[in-house]
Amino acid sequence: MSVEAPERPTQTSFPTEEEYAGQLGRRQRKAVAFKFFCLAMLTIAVLALATLLYTIINDSFGLVAIVNQNDPDQVVAELGYDPDTTNLQDVSYDELVGLLEANVSSGVGRRLERDQRFYEDRLVFEDDATWAEICSSGEPPTGCTAAPRDHSNVFALVQERVVVPDVIASYPLVPSLLNPEAFEEEVAAGFEAGRFPDYEPEQAFIEWRAWFNPTFLTTPQSSTPEVAGIRTAILGSTWLVLITILFAVPVGVGAAIYLVEYAKPTRLNDFIQTNINNLAGVPSIIYGMLGLAIFVRVLEPFTSGAIFTDGVPPSDNGRTIVAAGLTLGLLTLPVVIISAQEALKAVPDSLRHAGLALGATRWQTVRSQIIPVALPGILTGTILAVARAVGETAPLILVGAASFITTDPSGPFSKFTALPIQIFQWTSFPQQEFHNLAAAASIALLLLLLTLNAVAVILRNRYSRRAE
Amino acid sequence: MTNETSTENKVENVIEERMTTEPDRPGEPVPAAAQVRGVIETKDMSVFYGDFLAVANVSLNFGRNQISALIGPSGCGKSTVLRSLNRMNDLVATARTEGEVHYHGQNIYSDGVDPVEVRRTIGMVFQKPNPFPKSIYDNIAWGAKVNGFRGSKADMADLVQEALKSAALWDEVKDKLTESGYSLSGGQQQRLCIARAIATKPDVILMDEPCSALDPIATLRIEELMLELKEDYSIVIVTHNMQQAARVSDKTAFFNVKLNDTGMRTGRLVEYSPTEQLFTSPKEKDTEDYITGRFG
Repeated sequence: MSVEAPERPTQTSFPTEEEYAGQLGRRQRKAVAFKFFCLAMLTIAVLALATLLYTIINDSFGLVAIVNQNDPDQVVAELGYDPDTTNLQDVSYDELVGLLEANVSSGVGRRLERDQRFYEDRLVFEDDATWAEICSSGEPPTGCTAAPRDHSNVFALVQERVVVPDVIASYPLVPSLLNPEAFEEEVAAGFEAGRFPDYEPEQAFIEWRAWFNPTFLTTPQSSTPEVAGIRTAILGSTWLVLITILFAVPVGVGAAIYLVEYAKPTRLNDFIQTNINNLAGVPSIIYGMLGLAIFVRVLEPFTSGAIFTDGVPPSDNGRTIVAAGLTLGLLTLPVVIISAQEALKAVPDSLRHAGLALGATRWQTVRSQIIPVALPGILTGTILAVARAVGETAPLILVGAASFITTDPSGPFSKFTALPIQIFQWTSFPQQEFHNLAAAASIALLLLLLTLNAVAVILRNRYSRRAE
Repeated sequence: MTNETSTENKVENVIEERMTTEPDRPGEPVPAAAQVRGVIETKDMSVFYGDFLAVANVSLNFGRNQISALIGPSGCGKSTVLRSLNRMNDLVATARTEGEVHYHGQNIYSDGVDPVEVRRTIGMVFQKPNPFPKSIYDNIAWGAKVNGFRGSKADMADLVQEALKSAALWDEVKDKLTESGYSLSGGQQQRLCIARAIATKPDVILMDEPCSALDPIATLRIEELMLELKEDYSIVIVTHNMQQAARVSDKTAFFNVKLNDTGMRTGRLVEYSPTEQLFTSPKEKDTEDYITGRFG
């Protein structure tokens, strides 16, 4: 080469070899210190999450002290069996039905029978004439067509209606495992102090109870913690997710496509973009107020369903699933728009140019080339945003979620409750049992969110594979 | 320095080669018969990006069934000119074109001309291969579909095959038409993009530095392909590579950047001549400086 390397100046601003060695040591120590700092932060985050899970699980399982209002042994003895060899569960179907007949009021009995019959060929609580009448009416109850109850079903009814267990004290999981005797002592002390005046100490017995169990998920809300469940709340939350998705996804993705693919950088569009970014940070309770003012009050004829039923609203006001779902949809909308925009922006311009250069219209290019590539990102962002909204409590309280409701939501225009509302309500009760229920409901809510996130991951993997 | 002289030598070698292999084409002005009727003609075209004048007063006439090359240093506006020929520059929000671009006598910038229609007849191949993330087959079929191709499945298969054969890619991909376009090598991807452009039956193909991301062997194949394609299409190519322009083009336009009084770097057309003439006896001093490697 003809070019000579420039001579290195003797006097440089760089350190000497010895200085450099010392500096390097300091630099490396800083690097290590920073690494440990980050590790410590991570540990704090993990600990916080672990504590959260610990609290929830600790309260969802554990020892309980139960008093049966009717001792099952005694009931078995009254039926003529030896309680030492026969359990209540072992007696025949007819005898269980007999127990119900003897212990349950005729009103409750008729209701149970209308839900589901006890026998194919005969009625227990209703008389044949009334039964024929109600079954030929416009809306026959489920009992008219459904198959009769089975042994386990009736046994559960007997437990609930005849034995009537009452949880008088409960203990969290970890102390129950480590020191079960302490709980016995606590219960005994409670009796001595006269905290359970209705019962004798020998009636009480201690057993394990999982507050989070299949029955808990499938029974409706109740004012007795032993039989209370979250069926209504799960159905309510599911409806809310559906309506939130139906509203936020088309509107949000549509808006994002317009902003990314069509909007020119005018002042108005910049203003809109800035506002969307700001709306994503607006506290959820503000959205609740908006929902109350707009969806519950102004749009009441729509949200109460009145305009679909000739003016007779299925529920008496606008505090319905639709109103709450739309409120959550609004809350989710900015996040959906932003994440969809990010996903669309991540698609390289070369694909847009390729499409347009072939003589495709912008929409043909967007639909066939851009959206398929952006879809995994759009789906992930959307589902995470919706999952966030499912856990929202404040806006639901404002738009008037019912705190106590035992009937399943019948459609978008019915009253409802949701999982976070249920948890909020139970934690506000003084009794420990309701706190256990709240913890169990939290597990259900977390599982629902995990399911949504898992769906997001699965969809992302599936579509990104397809795009390759 | 050493680098520059080697460039110069190479260019001259190529020119010599061409001249010896094509003795019927002396280094004189091309006879009138070769100056076929123009397919695209720009008249006093200037392109602005906002207030910035990127390229000014370009008047060019691109011949039918010819390869026209646009060369020049970086920032001289040759790509801008190319993208203005099929209104791809419209996609830049701030871009504005003044003057006229005639395609078969029709100004493509006049009111009532749909850029979608323009791009269908004036196709484009880009600098970086940009196949769609779809199968090889769909990459080619899509352009026909969006332009309202009404033939049967068999017709479409024929079209795909024909396009791939025209792009000299058929033999390499005929057994893997359902595989992703991304599974191909860079050169194959670029030929796929050419096949894709051909499949919509355009009249003109614009190529924006189509070989700059490719290795020499892939480049050679694309160049061979261009010479074949010119039988059926008119081609305008932007290239950084002077040898490439010398090897493939019939006419070459040299652009240069000029600093105007306001300090704006505006590109201008310096010279537009038959390729051999431009490389052997340039009319302008700037052209000579550029092709001999004194700058750029």
